[in-house]
Amino acid sequence: MNYLLFENVLFNGIFLAMAGAAMAALAGIGSAIGIGIAGQAAAGVISEDPKKFGQTLILQALPGTQGIYGLLIAFLIMTKISLLGGDGPLEISMAQGAYIFASAVPVGLVGIFSGIAQGKSSAASIMLISKRPEELAKGMVYPAMVETYAVLALLISFLMLNGVQV
Amino acid sequence: MSIARMKKLSVIGLVSHREALMEKLMALGAVEITDQEEKLGDDRWKQMVKRDADERTVSEYEGRIAKVSQALDVIDKYGTQKKPLLHTRKPITFPDFKKALEDERSIEEKVGLINSLSARLAELSGAINKTETLKMSLEPWREYDIPLEEQGTKTTDLFLCVAPASADVNLFMKGLEDKVPASLIRLVASDAEQHYFYILSAKTERSFIDEIFRECGFSKIQFSDLSGTVKENIEALEKKSDELAEEKLGIEDTIRSHEVDKQSLELFYDKLIIHRDRADIRQNLLVTESAFSFDGWFPARAESRVSSLLSEMGCYFEIEDPAKGEDTPVLLLNGSFSTAFEAITRLYALPDSRAIDATPYFSLSYAVFFGMMLGDGAYGIIMAVITGLILKKYKLEGMKYRMVKLFFYCGISTAFFGALFGGWFGDIVTVAGKTFFNVDITVPPIWFNPLDDPMKLLIFCFIIGGIHIFIGMGLSAWLSIKDGRPLDAVFDVGLWYLLLIGATLLLIGVIPDVAKWMAIIGAVGILLTAGRNKKGIGKIIGGLGSLYGITGYLSDVLSYSRLLALGLASSVIASVVNTMGSFGGSGIKGVVLMTFAFVVGHTYNFAINGLGSFVHSCRLQYVEFFGKFYESGGEAFQPFGENTKYVDILREEN
Repeated sequence: MNYLLFENVLFNGIFLAMAGAAMAALAGIGSAIGIGIAGQAAAGVISEDPKKFGQTLILQALPGTQGIYGLLIAFLIMTKISLLGGDGPLEISMAQGAYIFASAVPVGLVGIFSGIAQGKSSAASIMLISKRPEELAKGMVYPAMVETYAVLALLISFLMLNGVQV
Repeated sequence: MSIARMKKLSVIGLVSHREALMEKLMALGAVEITDQEEKLGDDRWKQMVKRDADERTVSEYEGRIAKVSQALDVIDKYGTQKKPLLHTRKPITFPDFKKALEDERSIEEKVGLINSLSARLAELSGAINKTETLKMSLEPWREYDIPLEEQGTKTTDLFLCVAPASADVNLFMKGLEDKVPASLIRLVASDAEQHYFYILSAKTERSFIDEIFRECGFSKIQFSDLSGTVKENIEALEKKSDELAEEKLGIEDTIRSHEVDKQSLELFYDKLIIHRDRADIRQNLLVTESAFSFDGWFPARAESRVSSLLSEMGCYFEIEDPAKGEDTPVLLLNGSFSTAFEAITRLYALPDSRAIDATPYFSLSYAVFFGMMLGDGAYGIIMAVITGLILKKYKLEGMKYRMVKLFFYCGISTAFFGALFGGWFGDIVTVAGKTFFNVDITVPPIWFNPLDDPMKLLIFCFIIGGIHIFIGMGLSAWLSIKDGRPLDAVFDVGLWYLLLIGATLLLIGVIPDVAKWMAIIGAVGILLTAGRNKKGIGKIIGGLGSLYGITGYLSDVLSYSRLLALGLASSVIASVVNTMGSFGGSGIKGVVLMTFAFVVGHTYNFAINGLGSFVHSCRLQYVEFFGKFYESGGEAFQPFGENTKYVDILREEN
């Protein structure tokens, strides 16, 4: 009975692929926390000077990209196994499912931690523009330095996923 | 191009000509008059001259400017005119400018009137607030019909009192009547916060009553300056509040009727600014009894105009080239295309006056990077059309002009790469065709779709990155040669070129024999020369450390993979949006869903990926490119001119 459960559900190719899509979408955790951190700093700055709303909003949005990258990979996985079409998912082997799962790990995991780190860096940049609003561009570059690693993870996930044949 | 060559100017003139000269210099707007602090510290100068400051006039102008600016704010606040989307300075000829300000006194009177109206408005708002508050506090007592001035009779006291809503009213009322028989208590009203009572009691019982009040946390209240019943009072307050509100509306209307004067106020504001600046610049002048002197900078190409103006005013002047290595103010001069990208250089920091302006060398690559990352034909066309229209309609200046023009070029580049990669709102044509018409159509990419062959684009990105970095290194070499250190160029850049090109060729297996020797010569050369400026053991370690820097070049090139990744992000998110829109099928519901998803989704994707493309293009320039050669730290050239806010004064060129 248990053996059948493992065989049919947990080690089923489609389940593993969907778990991969879920893993990728977890990058949203990082973005959510990061945007939250930046939002706290932004609200503090706005209490002093409401005119900076636009600028702080731009900086607050920067840690949001990890979630988007996660969504992107999750979506590509779902397209790959035809989950979104009306005809139901493709039959894929356990190994294929496992490959797909592995390809989702970089974007999901790096997304969580880089999102948080980028949020902190954005919050610091928001404090920067509260004192020197003319330095917005520099304030945007610091969080972008963190984002590089989310971009690299996205690229690796994408190339791995692209290499899996189904 | 790039950094304008500056000339140094020293002038001596007669005090009697000072005002006229300053006026003309200001109109010319080409000379920066420098601060003379240093000379004043020198004893020999100190004996002869003093600072020609006129702080009183400056602060007097400051005061008048503040008043006009306040009046303009008031007009903006109550006026009905729509604010233009972008603030631009209106062009006006000098005679028109003078004519408009002939009746200065009446303009200043209007400023005073508007400001006094606004002060009255503030007063009225305060009075209305006060009335409303009093009315609110009377409201619960509406049913109490004894005139408020009644405080009792010869033998009785009459109070009004309140109790917290949590108190048990019935218990208290009964208790009071039991304990103090000679009293009468009535509940007037209760609300969520308090109970409202009045109590009539014999004067002899006063101390009892006070004690019970203390015990139960009740408190007396008084409306001491009111008379008549509560109802009458409330009615009177309502009437007063209405009257005040009416007066306020009337004043707002009066202010609105002055909106027609807005333009003359703006002109007056600018005139005051010009006069303030003219008074303010005098602190940079040195004067004796009858002569003045100042130093300054001007761009070399304005030399004929500056010198003819100075001779016309009968000044003695000297023009010199700056000494080698002397720090001069920095003015960037670029062609029509590169000017837009100055925005990016300025956002980083102005170049040092002895270094070079990076703008012309990265303008094209900035547009290319932006285009590859956003990479959607439709987004690009929308961007280019909107910014193009703005450029056509508004006469923008300075940073705003550069930014809008920058996005115009980036839009064109985005449309170009979108066409190459076949992205038009992602894959909207395919999705819409399939959902609504059940046909398979695709817009074929001119080059190839990155989703089909990402490795090909990745390699293309690395090649672009390599070229970009090599340009940066080349500029560094050029700077060394210009500075008279050709060997540095060979050792620090030439050898790296050899090593990097050799290593790359080896990696891809083209002419491996030549490549091997190129790499070896480069590596050995770096090992031997990189530590040449160090002493002792540093000579060896310096070489090793520098060679280890090859990992830096590796990561620099890998960094350009973001061109692919972000390009994929914007095109895949666009197709996510389209797919979501297609879930509604082909019926009317499907059309509604598709329209909604299209508008919201693509706006979002455009905004977030546009921001990403801007930031990451900047990063590639700032970190990978500027890091190789750029020296920042120059002070901006700030010519003494008409820094007006609302109008641009045109003068006939003669």
